[in-house]
Amino acid sequence: MDELEPPIRLVDVHKSFGSLTVLDGVSLDIPRGRTTAIIGPSGTGKSVMLKHIVGLIRPDRGEVRVFGTDMASAPESKVYEVRKRLGMLFQDGALFDSLSAGENIEFPLQRHHPELSASERRDRVEEALQMVELPGLYDRPTPALSGGQRKRVGLARAIITRPELVLFDEPNSGLDPITSDAIDALIGHLKETLGVTFLVITHDIVGTVNVADHIAMLYQGKLVAWGTRDEVTRSDHPIVRRFLGRNLILPDPGSAGSAVLPRIG
Amino acid sequence: MSALAWLGGLAWFAWDWFRANLRSRPPPGRTLEEAYRIGVQSLPVLLVISIFVGTNLALQGYKAFTPLGGQRLVGMFVAMAGVRELAPLIAAAMVAAKAGTEMASQIAVMRTREQIDALEVMAVNPYWFLVTPRLYGILLVMPALSLISVGVTVLASLLVSVFQLGLNAATFLEFARSSITMNDIFAGSVKAVIFAVIICFVSCYCGFVSEKGPEGVGRATNRAVVVSCITCVMFNTLVSQVLYG
Repeated sequence: MDELEPPIRLVDVHKSFGSLTVLDGVSLDIPRGRTTAIIGPSGTGKSVMLKHIVGLIRPDRGEVRVFGTDMASAPESKVYEVRKRLGMLFQDGALFDSLSAGENIEFPLQRHHPELSASERRDRVEEALQMVELPGLYDRPTPALSGGQRKRVGLARAIITRPELVLFDEPNSGLDPITSDAIDALIGHLKETLGVTFLVITHDIVGTVNVADHIAMLYQGKLVAWGTRDEVTRSDHPIVRRFLGRNLILPDPGSAGSAVLPRIG
Repeated sequence: MSALAWLGGLAWFAWDWFRANLRSRPPPGRTLEEAYRIGVQSLPVLLVISIFVGTNLALQGYKAFTPLGGQRLVGMFVAMAGVRELAPLIAAAMVAAKAGTEMASQIAVMRTREQIDALEVMAVNPYWFLVTPRLYGILLVMPALSLISVGVTVLASLLVSVFQLGLNAATFLEFARSSITMNDIFAGSVKAVIFAVIICFVSCYCGFVSEKGPEGVGRATNRAVVVSCITCVMFNTLVSQVLYG
């Protein structure tokens, strides 16, 4: 892989399901070591884009390159090698109910790091539990976890192998505002601590503005905005302003100000 | 989805499983765990059904042969019908009903909750991780369950023949033994292996292609048991035609 190539590069990606066009010529580079948020209304193709990036869906046309590998045309073994370099937090955590919280986190270590002893793996899991602020929860049965705890355990599983790229699929969905804020703060903290590339798919605007360095907005399968956080929040694109303006007080296009949260009361 | 497309999907599923296992050993420890679970789940209901099938075989055989003066043939009838045909099918039906439905529903729930996607993203092949231990587990126990069903069916028939119908036990056993050979036992085991493969692949495939939500899981589970049973009966006929036709 060319070291200058971004960890994720989408080139003219098209995808339709029957007559429904979900991605319509999306091209995008995700910068290394930064946090990028993909925003947009529900049903606009964000999760489909994420599934293209991890190779679960193949594009009808175009290229999805992750660490220089085209996920659509590469042999399965190569795709699996790429996946070993990334971690992903699923919407509901996608934890295995038959395993405890700690066993879920340990799962990728067991599969891909046979060189680690059981006690080393346990130490790594305890460390990850500390990072997601759930110390001592190793033995907690997964069905007994709350929604926020499931997200945190899912996040710990996503980072346990120390991946170069972490993907978040709607990290705030289904959470109350307080837990949602806590997850955003955790993502912000991990961003500083780990220094790896984060890609966050979300429609939670407030959280996005808090954690993202770059923002891309998808609307009806097309990329309508892309840039740094300030560039996008100052965009004069009507859809972007309508979408962001529901939750934020936006600066005038072209001004030097930043988006701020509205004052309540 | 048309039946043909569904069968095509099943064939691709089996091919994907085969490719996933070419260079991989089964997930350690989980094969025996699955074998134990499938065996323990299916055994009680298998015993109950085999007992009642055995008693009814004896009764119907007695009714059929008495007008011809051939009560002694009951042992032969039970052995041929029970050992060659019914016992392996009973084992298949019970395993499909207990273990097969559990395979389908577990995998369908995993599909709904994105756990199969999570396996893929964690670079763990789901065909290898989910199907292989279940297949090897069911292959380990199915011939044994079939043999247990044979033994219990014949024993139940013998008890009814002796204590209810007043037949001679030695005669029953002599006729039963003379009508079946080791080849019949072997054929029953071959059928059991074929049924195990059918039940596992059909049930796992139903789970993998399940639609999301509780209705999808229900439909996958229902389809798994129906398709497994129909396919086992069809293959049973095919094998019997080849061996005894």
